[in-house]
Amino acid sequence: MFENLPRNPKIRMIRCFLTDTLRRARAIRDWYQELGYTETEMRGIKLLREWLSPEQLVQFHRFRYFDVTGCHSGKTYRYVTVRERISGNLTDLGYPKAGWCFVPNEPLVPGDVMLAQKISLETDEWTALAVAKSFRPI
Amino acid sequence: MATQIVMNHSGDTRHVFDANDANALLEAERRFKELTGAGFTAAIRTASGEPAVTHKFDPTAEETLFFPRLVGG
Repeated sequence: MFENLPRNPKIRMIRCFLTDTLRRARAIRDWYQELGYTETEMRGIKLLREWLSPEQLVQFHRFRYFDVTGCHSGKTYRYVTVRERISGNLTDLGYPKAGWCFVPNEPLVPGDVMLAQKISLETDEWTALAVAKSFRPI
Repeated sequence: MATQIVMNHSGDTRHVFDANDANALLEAERRFKELTGAGFTAAIRTASGEPAVTHKFDPTAEETLFFPRLVGG
């Protein structure tokens, strides 16, 4: 395979980089498909990943959750799950038994829901918590 | 090229426009006002990559994300 690569080292390097990027993108897509995500849900996850900070992205890939710091209180909130109805539930790490749930008023895929919640907590925490319903995590 | 991303049930809808085109900018501003008027929140990313909510159309924003109003779940 490598004998077909051009001799120009720069073009060769770019081609190798593109091949590697494509391979990684396919691997990520396959991984999400194995988890049972639909194409639409994968688009939501892709958008979410684009807007996560580098630290949140590492957490999300490694543990399937990420922490968000509230812009007003400085408290840390954790998304306890990614999928379905409880994707909007947040746990205040300072008070492990406290949780809040708030969701967009239109049906969105889980990745979009998480992104909307993340942005709300990071930019207008009090307003987000004002509309949220509290619950006791099990 | 600039993009306005509107979240919806199918994931999202993307509107790409040329920020140097006056007509495209007017259309983008009209869409911004329409969506925020309907209760959508508009967010952009700062230079450091952090999200920021904006209440005014920013013609220099490369990417503006719109998500629906949040309610108690």
